[in-house]
Formats: sequence, C-alpha cells, structure tokens
Amino acid sequence: MTTKFTVIGQRVHNVDGTEKVTGSAKYTFDVVLPNMLYGKVKRSPYPHAKILKIDTSKAKKLIGVKAVVTGKDTLGRKQGIWRRFPELCDEEILCRTKVRYIGDPVAAVAAIDEDTAEEALDLIEVEYEPLPAVFDPLEAIKEDAPQVHDGVELNININRHIEWGDVDEAFQKCDHIREDQYKCSSQAHVCMETHDAVASFGHNGKLTVWTSSQSSYYIQRLYADMLDMKESDIRVMNRHTGGGFGSKFELDSAQFPAAILSQKLCQPVKIVLSREEEFTATKRRTPMYYFLKLGATKDGKLLAKEARVITEGGAYTAMGATALYLTGFFSSFPYKYPNYRYDGYRVYTNTAVTSAMRGFGAPQSTFVGESQLDMMAEDLGIDPIEIRRKNGMTPNYEVPGQAFIQSCGLHQCLDKIEDHIKKRGKLPPNHGIGVSAYGFMSGGIFNWFNTPYAFSAAVVRINIDGKVDLYTGACDIGQGSNTTLSMICAEELGVKLEDVRIFSGDTGICPPDLGAWGSRETLMNGNAVKRAAADAKRQLLEFAAAHMGANIVYDLDIKDRWVHLVDRPERGVSYFDIVKAAIRGKDGNAIMGRGYYTPHRKGMISPAYSFGVQIAEVAVDPETGRYKLVNVTTAHESGTVVNPLGIEGQLEGAIMMAGGYGYCEDQPMDDGKILNPSIADYKLIRSLDMPETEILEIDTYEPEGPFGAKEAGEGLTNPTAGAIGNAIYKAVGVRINDLPITPEKVFKALREKKQKAK
Amino acid sequence: MINDFEYLAPKTLKEALALLDKYQDDCKVICGGQSLLVLMRQGLVAPPYMVDIKGLNELSYIKDEKDGLKIGATTTHRTIEKSAVIKKKYPVLAKMETRLASIQTRNWGTIGGNVCHADPAGDPAPVCIALGATFTMTSSKGKRSMPAEDFSLDYFETVLEPGELLTEISLPPVPAKTGTAYTKFNVIESDLATVGVAVTVTLGAGDSCQDIRIALGASAPIPLRTKKAEAVLKGKKITEALLAQAGEAAAAEADPISDIYASDDYRRELIKVLVPRITREAMANARKAK
Amino acid sequence: MKKELKFKVNGQPYDIFVKPKALLSDVLRIELGLTGTKRGCNSSSCGACTVMLNGMAVKSCSVLALQANGAEVVTVEGLAKGNKLSPLQRAFLDHGSYQCGFCTPGMLMSSTALLTENPKPTKEEIKEGIDGNICRCTGYNSIIRAITAVVKGDYKEAK
Repeated sequence: MTTKFTVIGQRVHNVDGTEKVTGSAKYTFDVVLPNMLYGKVKRSPYPHAKILKIDTSKAKKLIGVKAVVTGKDTLGRKQGIWRRFPELCDEEILCRTKVRYIGDPVAAVAAIDEDTAEEALDLIEVEYEPLPAVFDPLEAIKEDAPQVHDGVELNININRHIEWGDVDEAFQKCDHIREDQYKCSSQAHVCMETHDAVASFGHNGKLTVWTSSQSSYYIQRLYADMLDMKESDIRVMNRHTGGGFGSKFELDSAQFPAAILSQKLCQPVKIVLSREEEFTATKRRTPMYYFLKLGATKDGKLLAKEARVITEGGAYTAMGATALYLTGFFSSFPYKYPNYRYDGYRVYTNTAVTSAMRGFGAPQSTFVGESQLDMMAEDLGIDPIEIRRKNGMTPNYEVPGQAFIQSCGLHQCLDKIEDHIKKRGKLPPNHGIGVSAYGFMSGGIFNWFNTPYAFSAAVVRINIDGKVDLYTGACDIGQGSNTTLSMICAEELGVKLEDVRIFSGDTGICPPDLGAWGSRETLMNGNAVKRAAADAKRQLLEFAAAHMGANIVYDLDIKDRWVHLVDRPERGVSYFDIVKAAIRGKDGNAIMGRGYYTPHRKGMISPAYSFGVQIAEVAVDPETGRYKLVNVTTAHESGTVVNPLGIEGQLEGAIMMAGGYGYCEDQPMDDGKILNPSIADYKLIRSLDMPETEILEIDTYEPEGPFGAKEAGEGLTNPTAGAIGNAIYKAVGVRINDLPITPEKVFKALREKKQKAK
Repeated sequence: MINDFEYLAPKTLKEALALLDKYQDDCKVICGGQSLLVLMRQGLVAPPYMVDIKGLNELSYIKDEKDGLKIGATTTHRTIEKSAVIKKKYPVLAKMETRLASIQTRNWGTIGGNVCHADPAGDPAPVCIALGATFTMTSSKGKRSMPAEDFSLDYFETVLEPGELLTEISLPPVPAKTGTAYTKFNVIESDLATVGVAVTVTLGAGDSCQDIRIALGASAPIPLRTKKAEAVLKGKKITEALLAQAGEAAAAEADPISDIYASDDYRRELIKVLVPRITREAMANARKAK
Repeated sequence: MKKELKFKVNGQPYDIFVKPKALLSDVLRIELGLTGTKRGCNSSSCGACTVMLNGMAVKSCSVLALQANGAEVVTVEGLAKGNKLSPLQRAFLDHGSYQCGFCTPGMLMSSTALLTENPKPTKEEIKEGIDGNICRCTGYNSIIRAITAVVKGDYKEAK
C-alpha cells in the first residue's frame, strides 16, 4: 500500500546522531554527581551455599569506605518480572540466607573511589556452608537432585503447554515422521555498556536513579516493590544506553545495591559492573534441550509437530518463563500446522540466570525447526524452498486458538530468496547455501507484569513556535526508537522531523511504557505516539477549520507544515499561523495531545507478526572444519518501513549477533563457573569475520501498526543459526545439532562420516 | 585493580640495566604493556617498581646489515608490519603481524615484549624460530645470545635473568631457494592461535628438502620446534606421503592442552593438516625466491 | 607518589600530576572530563577506549598515562573543528554507522587513524582498520560503507 509520506521512509540521521558521533552523548557510565560515591558488589564464589555469617567490620574500617550493606539491610523482598505470580518472584538480589549461583550478590560497598571499594570487598568476610549443586537441567529434574528453591518439585520452575488439533491422531496419518534432538546454547548479550546505575536518595526519602535500561518504568516499579515505596517517589531516568538486547529490564545487581547504599547515606552511589560481572552475574540467553517430532505427507504437507523442551533456568525466574512460552509458540512458526503440541519445562539450576535475549526463545526454536524441516525435505526429496512454500503462513491466517496473523509477506520473501539462489548459480566446491524462515512478534499482549497502565502512552505538546515536544516512556537502547517515534509523530502531525524534540525513558516526566523488548516499540509505542499526535492535530484543525472558513464537505489535514484542504491542497495556511491561533484560542495554553495503546482481543501472543527468509552461504575447509560466512542475504517484511536506515542497521547487527550464536559464541561452564568471562575469551564476530550482507525488502502493510508498520529487529535474529547449519550440511554433508556450530564439531562430524563410509 | 607502584623511566639502556640490577625481582619492565597491563588490571602481577623502557629509542630499530636483519626489541609490531625491508626480505614476518591482535595493539606493543611475555600461543615466536632467529639479551655484565627456540622455558617463562633485558632479535640472511610460511588456526580472524604453524624450507635439486625448520605455536608449553617432523623431510624429495608423515610426527611431538577453545585431540589433528599445508606454501615461496 | 604528566590533548596543553598506575583512559575521562572515550572491557579486547596518540590508534586502557608524557593525544572530542564535524563524522551520520553509540567514539578514532595513515585503503584494509573495535549493534558493514564513502571523496574536510 503506497501513501505519500513526507517523513516516514526517509533516510534520516538519528535524532541523537550528532551527540553520538561527537562523544557528547552522556551514558550512565559517564554520570558524575557532586558528593557521589562508588560502589562494588561482593558475590558468592559457590554455586549453592547457605550464608552462615557476614562480617563487614574490617571493610567498614577501611579509610574511604562510607557504608557496607548486606541482605540484612534490605526488606528481604524478592523481585520477579512475572508479578502476577508471587511464587515466580524469587530473587532477593542481595541474598540473605542462601546463594544459588556463582556471582549471586551477598554484600555491597560504597567508597570514595572504585579502588577503595574494591579493596573493601576483600575485607568482607563471608562464611558459607556449601551445598550440593546441580548444573544441567536434565540432572536437576531428577528426584534426587539438589533443590535450588525450597518447595519446588523436581526444580521445575514453570511449565507451559500449547496445543491445537490432535497430534497423536495426525501422526498416524503421516507418510513420514522425523524425530530429532537438539541442544541450544547460552549466549551473552555483551552490551558495550555494562549494567550500571547511579542511585540517589534524597533526605526527603525520594529516590532518583540514572541507569542503563530497556524499561525505566519496569525498573521504577520493581524498585517500588523491593523498597516498599510508592512508584511515584522514584524517578528512573534512562540516559543514552549502550545496548540492551534483553539484558536490561529487570532490577539488577548494580541498580538495587546502589539504592540500598544510597538509602543509608543519602548520597548518590554509582555502581558499574565490570565486564567479568557482566558475563557471570547478569542474565543470559536460555539454553534449551529440544525434542522435535515432525510428520508430513509424502508430498511435503506438514500435518503434525510436537515439541518438548527443557530449558536451563539458572537460579531465578527472571524473564525465563516468557522465553519458555515464546519458544513453544514460535516453534509453530512460520508454517500452518493443523496439529501442534508443545510442552516446555523451565528447570532451576545453580547457574547464572537465563532470561531474555533478542529473539526471546525464537532463535532457538527457529534453529531447531529449520534444521529439522530441511532434513524432512531431503527425506521426501522436496526442494527446501518448495516445502516452505507448501506450508508457509499467509495473510489473515489464524493460528488455531492462539493468534491472528493479518499481514504476512512470507511467500514473497520465499520467492525473492529463490531468485537469489538461482542467480548465485553453481557454487564453488565446499560452499553451501542454507535457507531459514522465521516469523516474530511485534510486542506481547500478555500482562504478567501486572501493570495497571496502558502498555504504551505518549503526550505531545505543541509550543508557540510550532516546535513539538514528544513525551514517551519508550527507551532508546540503540535500536533507534527516539528517531522512529519522532518520525511517526512528525508524519502524523504534518511537520518536519526537525520540529520534533523527544523526551523519552524518564519516569518523572514521561507517561509509562513497558519498554524496549519483544520488539514492541514501533508498533505499540508508535501507535500511542500516532494517536497523541492525532489528538494534537485534531485540536489544531478545529481552529484551522474556523480560520479558513472551509465548506463543511471538506476535510483538513497538515502535511509538511501546511494546513490545507485535503481535496484542494493549494488552499491552506501555514502550520505556524494555526499554532499561534490555536494557542490563543485556548487561553494561551500549549496544545496537548494524548495517546495510548494496549492490544485488546489480539490472541494470546502479539497484535502483529513480521516474517522473513534468510540464506547463509558458507565456505567450509573440510580438512579442518573451519568455515567462513561468505554471504547472508535476507528477504524480510516489516510492514511500512518508517526508518529505513534504522532497519538496515537492525538487520546487519542481527546477523552479527545471530551469526555469532550459530558460529562462535558460547559460555562453557565447569561446575557452574563460566570459563570465558572476558571479551578476549568470549568469541565475537568482528569486522574481518562479518559476511557480506544483502537486504531484499518486501513491501507489506500491517493494519494494526502505525502507518502500517510492525517489528523489525528482533525477528531478524531468529534465522541465522539455522541458515548456517543448513548451509554446512549442503556444503559438506554433516549436520550439527548442538550450538554453536564450531569448527571442531564440523571436523569431528566429517571424520565420523569418513569412518562410517569405510 | 592495578597496584600502586613506583614509576621509573630511564633515558638510556645503561640506566635501565642499572635499575634492573638494583630492584631485581621487585621490578617489572614495561614497554608497550599490551600484555602486562591486562595481567596487572586483574591483580595477577603487582610489582612495587615499574621500569618503563618505552622511551628507549636506542632499542627501536630495523637494520639491514650484511650478516642479517637486526630488529631492536622495542620495535613496535606495526613498524615491523609496515617496514619495506621486512616486506621485501622476510615477508612472512610482516604478514604474521597483520593478524596479530589489532592495529591498536600493534601500534603500541613491541615484538620484544611479545616474545618475553612467552605465551606459547603468540605469533612472533614460531615465525622467529622458523626464520632461525637469534635473541640477544643484555645486562650490566654484558651480552649473551641464543637461538629463538631456546628462549622460552615454560608457559610465560623465559631464560631472562633478573637484570637482563632482551635487546635484539636478529634474522640471518635468507639462503637461496628458501621460503617461509606461517598460519594460525583460529575461529575469529585476528584471534590468538588455537594452533600456529611456521615452516621454512630451503629447496635443493628437484624439489628436495635441503633444509627445513618447523615451529608450532599453541601446541606445547613453549613455542616448539619439531625436529622429529623436520627429520622426516630433511634431505629427501618432498612427497605428499612424506608431508603427511611429517604432520603426524609434529602432532606426536606436540604437547597441546585441552581448553575451552579446542581439545588436545583436535589440536593434534589440526597440526597434522597444517604442517603439510604450510610446508607446501613455504615450498611455493621457495620456488619463487631467487 | 604522583608524577608530572605534560601532554597535549585535542591541541590543548595539560600539566597535571597523576598516580603512576593511572591509565590514559582514566586520566582522559576523570581528570580531564573528556567522557567521550569509553571503557567496555578489562581485557584490552573491545577497542571502545581507542584514542590517537602521536597519530596512531591505541587503546587508552592499555597505555599508562605517564607513557603519554610529551605526546599529542586526540580523542573523539577533538575531531570536529568547532561546530564543523569531520568528514568521517558526517559519513557516519549519513550511513547510520552507529546505534547505541557506545563503541562509536572508538570506531571514529580507529577510522580517523586509518585514513590519517593511509587515505586510500582497500576494503580489506578498512576492515583491518576497525577489526580491533567491537560493535554489538551495527554489524560493522554500515561503518565500512561510511569509511569507503570518505575514501571515495564524497566528504570534504570542512573549512
């Protein structure tokens, strides 16, 4: 659907671009306040232990130390993101009686500088009674396994079930059935800015926090829960944030201890987690054991799919419950399964907490699903694109009882990718191209957080000079929401992008927004912003109509600062003049527009979904197993493209992250200890390793989204691991079912294949 | 957290050696600090005295002399990478540098600092061994030299005595019909070696191996010269079968560890593949050479 | 005991006293208040702290401040001339070569050093030039496109 936009669809500089390229963007990392102290956190060296005694006396005596706190200085409450379910609120953050993973915090220090604080940590004496620990969920789920949380049977934190049709009956009717097992690894977010916070309690008992966050509202609410305060006595300000990727929307071990210390001292306390703490003691991607059963007819019609998943939960619930649910739902994507069943179990273990990471369970489900589907295609002698075409979702499809998909450009994506593969032609030896298709949500409809607020809200204020202030709780973590939302506001109001100034992520001045996760900002907050701008515009047009004396049959609109009759656009008046008139008409008050959005009656998951198909071309060195990512080409659709430069950036960045998930990123552990907690040892794709990337845009329109837009950014992380796995199989005929697909695994698989052939 | 230390910045080599004599084990020498500062930030090394030799320009040089190329120990990696004479006469050294860590590291870190750090996964040491390099150490008592392959004793341990500084790396003139090649196997392009292989071959008549040096990185507690593998090829006509045998011999001679990057078994398999591969590349370079 | 450090940063001379153990990154950020330069790791691996020292890109977290005595340092704050952005800065803006922006100062310093040393790098040399800098957001290719555009001559130095 093509509409003439004046702002949307333009390749614009990010609204905070000049700050970022001049180094003047201020992050929490840069915040320095008068009278500020520096904090450090003491953490458990044991994966599971009772805390018998904490002696802070020596630390307190160290010159320069102002306060030392432990769990005893807190109210002993437990945080949880699934606030509707108190039994899932299980994390004290500063542990009082028990530690459950290596890195679990037990104390914190505030001192005049970081070095003194670090020295003080060594002086805190903690007496532990180590307990038996369990690290693998398949072990933890056994009867005799150590209990991570009291009263939780078999360490099963939560289980989810999704079902439609009758899979058992359907499997009887299948011509071919495959059963496969997979292991999906963990992954670290590796935000360039680690978790950090400056917490400042005033003598009036109110708390102000500068922090790197994906949701300042969530942090505010969780602080209120943990400190037994009124939300509104807490102000959380999200500065420029150096990345989130799912790691920064729960109260963390920089934010909470900083507040407890500050509460004691009435001074600002800054805690910045070290990179090592970032790797070992913040949340990470959920590792999963996947058991898949897939049934089809001999001509490739998928009849039934059954997925059973056991996830490694780590020590606390966090957002892991959502990952468990979404992986089960997206295991049914992007195909039409008449019969489907999913059973997932999240199992507590004495390891670092597993939670949300870009894709939220869908990179895992897409890797396993797309790998198995390629094997099914091979078994049946069907082309990989063809089998996807035969079963792929289409517009206005209902996932039975679960979701209604309005726009869907999957088939156009398949066509484009098929063309690309044909054009590539004959590949050199040991090269392979693997296909992987995905679909992903534009924000979740669920409210397990139990907010009474609309999911997204925005306020627009038009000032006398025609400049527009946009207030929204949405957090820009680098994904460009400040720019995208400003563009939506400008487009709706009919002004230029430079006329809009956005205030975001500050709970003190912005209406609440659930934050940047689940790829929700463009659709949900975009809708709120569009509605707020429309509200403000309506008020302007009321005055314009009177001012212009237009016949009642005419509609008015504003485009590019020109208030005009829609049918006679040459008849109009300057936006700036109307603003002045409207403000005078309102007794000298700036024009205020309000908008909000909460999805209602949109199924169980999301109001809209984006789709795509990706190929990865690899070149394998069969003698060593090493392979190069030569090219990753993606055909995708995300409805109307609001911020094209932003989407391209999201796609290429997703390839770096998702490619890493497939190729080299891993967190090997030994008895619960992460063995590579540094950027030297945790392998990341750098510029020399990055493949050539190509984007093939498909034009679609999503009725639920602002101007037809929907998500782009998280879904793009889903397909790459599967595409890599499928490509390696095409190149050298071996399949690796556990991530990451390292050269050593490829080498060993090839060696095994050679030995079997003898 | 870095400890508080006394900082000393001598202006001449003589001054530096006097300081080392004075403080012995109580001091650490810093030059580029690209390895040392990582250790100090983690509190693994905490010297009361730091002797900074970065300013000793007299130790930073590349001299092309009749009896070979002399590289001062405080010459930066980047200088070596960009040196016209090295690119011409010892191109493998310049090529090795292009994948050593990052440009930032190479701009400040030095070849001397790298080999003295004695990480067996380092790139320069196997290449130096393959090139037949000699390392010269200086103390207030005088100089001593030894072949590069004898310089490391164990992980992060060299023959350097307190009071001694590595001052020069010298490369003998390249004989006729000689070629060297180096590769490191890793997962990320500029990463440390999972396994490194450097080979120098001097060809005789009819593709025969007149002389050969094979050195492995990240395959033992020290950068390892694999003489048994060399013996398989030396003096013989090089065939695919012999190359494979040399690879097997090198893998057997190696003593790699299993760690989170690779198992010892895989490292040995890589050696079996890469020794023949790099020997072939060295032979090709030798054929091209005068 | 603190020692004297005399150096120039962004053309401005400084004469200060620092602890011997002070890293150049800390002195820039804390003593001089130039917070554009970031720290992203503790293992000298991420490149977020990259500055130019005597025209060379170095990781300021891995240089003792005292080693910069007598040197000329340029940080991201020194790239623009008054309010005129450098060609690379303008190219980054046009190509969307940043997202969260935390790695951006380091990326700009590596890119500036690259083009200062070699105004016509090949694509491979450009990739090498920023290989010491981790970016978790952009996937590098938009950065490479921006540098390529500057190399092509699409951006002239502002007067």
